[in-house]
Amino acid sequence: MTALKFEGDGWEYFKIWIVNILLTIVTLGLYYPWAKVRNLRYFYANSTLEGKNFEYHATGKQLFIGYLIAMILLIAYVTIEQFSVVGSLIVLLIFALGYPWIVWRSLKFNARMTSFSNVRFSFSGGCGAAYVNFLLLPAVFFISIYAGPVLAAVVIPMLTDSGTEFGALYILAAVLIGCILLVVAFFMYAFLKKRISTYIVKGYQYGQGEFDTNLETSSFALILLKTIAISFGIGVIGMLLIGVVSMGTTGLSGIVSMQEGLENSSEDMDAYAGTILAMILPVYVLMLFGFLVVSAYAKSRQRAYIYSNSLLDEKIAFESTLRARSLAWVMISNLFLIVLTLGLATPWAKVRLTRLYLENTQVSAEQSFDEYVTQKLEEQSSLGEQIGDAFDVDMDFGI
Amino acid sequence: MLIQGDFYRCGSASSHPATLESAGHSFRIQAQDGSSSSGNLSDIQVSERLGNVERKLTLANGDLFATRDNDAVDSLFSARATGSGFIHTLESHIGWAAIALVVAVTVAISFFRWGVPWISTTVAHALPQETNEFISRGTLEFLDDHFFDESELDQVEKDRIRERFQSSLLALEEESNQINYKIHFRNWVIDEKAIPNAFALPAGDIILTDKFVQLAQHQDEIDAVLLHEMAHVVHRHSLESVVSGGLVAAIIMIITGDNSAIVDVGLGVGSLLISSNYSRENEIEADLYAFQKMLDAGIDPNAFSEILNRMNAYMEDFDGEETSNENADEAEYAEDNSEPKSNILDYLSSHPSTQLRAEQARRYSECFKRSENPCEPAIE
Repeated sequence: MTALKFEGDGWEYFKIWIVNILLTIVTLGLYYPWAKVRNLRYFYANSTLEGKNFEYHATGKQLFIGYLIAMILLIAYVTIEQFSVVGSLIVLLIFALGYPWIVWRSLKFNARMTSFSNVRFSFSGGCGAAYVNFLLLPAVFFISIYAGPVLAAVVIPMLTDSGTEFGALYILAAVLIGCILLVVAFFMYAFLKKRISTYIVKGYQYGQGEFDTNLETSSFALILLKTIAISFGIGVIGMLLIGVVSMGTTGLSGIVSMQEGLENSSEDMDAYAGTILAMILPVYVLMLFGFLVVSAYAKSRQRAYIYSNSLLDEKIAFESTLRARSLAWVMISNLFLIVLTLGLATPWAKVRLTRLYLENTQVSAEQSFDEYVTQKLEEQSSLGEQIGDAFDVDMDFGI
Repeated sequence: MLIQGDFYRCGSASSHPATLESAGHSFRIQAQDGSSSSGNLSDIQVSERLGNVERKLTLANGDLFATRDNDAVDSLFSARATGSGFIHTLESHIGWAAIALVVAVTVAISFFRWGVPWISTTVAHALPQETNEFISRGTLEFLDDHFFDESELDQVEKDRIRERFQSSLLALEEESNQINYKIHFRNWVIDEKAIPNAFALPAGDIILTDKFVQLAQHQDEIDAVLLHEMAHVVHRHSLESVVSGGLVAAIIMIITGDNSAIVDVGLGVGSLLISSNYSRENEIEADLYAFQKMLDAGIDPNAFSEILNRMNAYMEDFDGEETSNENADEAEYAEDNSEPKSNILDYLSSHPSTQLRAEQARRYSECFKRSENPCEPAIE
């Protein structure tokens, strides 16, 4: 196994990044496609395996038309959003229906525009499967996760009010169904993770070579279960911590004076807004850190599982050695860096994170890549990819 | 010139160390496995320079020569051939980047200061009148549901004001035949205190509150305010703020990639009318329009400042300390869109300051007394 390397440098990238931003502002956004190409090329070309690098081949010109159309759609959306609530809901619905297509086209375009050692990737996953994986199954998941609470909030009070003899029995049944639905939602999520990961890995090709993977819903369910357990743990510790700290310092007097404030006039309330903020801020920061730690855990475990079960042409294997704690550390310290420098440290943060990911990606490169050859394919339009970019569609599926 | 690199056959992953040798306008690539290739330098497609990442030289037949010797490639090919001389110069010299930063910030600020208002005005006036009717739809109902009660004014008085508006004021405005003006009377009470105010919806609905009509001592004062409101409609000030709000939100989204800006631009025009206000420039424009039309109609512009002062005095009687709050005075409606405050009247605005507006009215009034029309001494 050989690890990938990242040869980029924070300072070098900073200069590229700042010039990109400036030219984008000066051209009122028109430079954006070229800026995007330079960004991506920098990261791709600096990612190497045994001296051979990746490359991003799209050109600014190629992205430009798709970008313009995406911008027109975005401005149309903002305009409609201003005029009518119903209109914006309809637009959102149309967007939801178009979402799988956008994801599918993005996957195809981005794969085609990527090469390693002069050989292009491609993506052969189907559009129909994208609709199942990115619309149908997520819809089922959301229904199952929201059905339980809705049942509790609406149906149970209704039954209690009606005061029938069998009221208690109905409530029991409703609670039971609610619990079952939550369990269904849990497995649905694991199933969704498996479906999407499989769809993406199996869809990818490197030259004539095909990727294959063998993933199980139960493994994703186990990772999810541990993630939930960790979230609970962090939540409990965090609440205790906040309770102790806020009681010990401003909290207690704050609560007392808040009560006085309520009893007195509303003018006094302003004076206690600061106290309330002092209590909310640590909760907010802790929630943010907790979220980063939990997502770092889920991400690193899923990544390791997917990589170790995937093969290129049944011989080239992969491994992710990314540890949850190092990912969480880089994510949290990056956040600090970016906030403290008002965003100017963003290039260093991106370089650090990319380096961490790549240096923890192992490939059995003893097998030579020499036999791989780019396959002829028709050219791809960048439209879907650009719409996805404009509307911030998250293309990062944990791989 | 001799450049070290790797040679790839078209589309193949296998590579061999190679050298590219140039002589005049031609080149020759010699790979270690014995293969070679040659041709004209002008047939080679060179990837743009980007930091120090590997350069790709694609030959006419699709073969590839990759090298990290960026400086050698730059000296072998002209900046035009590599297509990125200018940008690479910016990227590699932090001084240039700093200058570009200043330029960009200046351009950005200028754009928001002058570009956005200009675009908003142009777009607002290019849109058909139906747009105004569309964005006003449902707004009066919304205001009725949340803020207004039915008017308690005498029907005779209402008819008189409407009659006067139809017969004399409408004739002053050439565009009036396109706009469907309608006058509505409403009672607006906050904390058992009747609020004097008047305002216009983009479609041409002008709403007068009972207290305003009661405070007015002369028909001229009502006319002055009605003309001021007509100016907001004719100049499409509401549409301008809708367009500029959307424009700013879209630009922020494009630059930052942050879609949450959408959430902040408000839900429809109902909340827009409640939460936003006309700009200072809009108010001055509306004042001047009203003064000019008053001269045309033979009304003393002083009537405008008289009604302003009386409304001001009335509101000060209730909450003297609040009118000293400069910022809150500016909006027709409170920034806090849950409940309109009492000290928010458009006409009592300190921006432009009440004195400035009164001064402007006085100058027009002098013109009126000297029967000068057009009136020149407008404040610069």
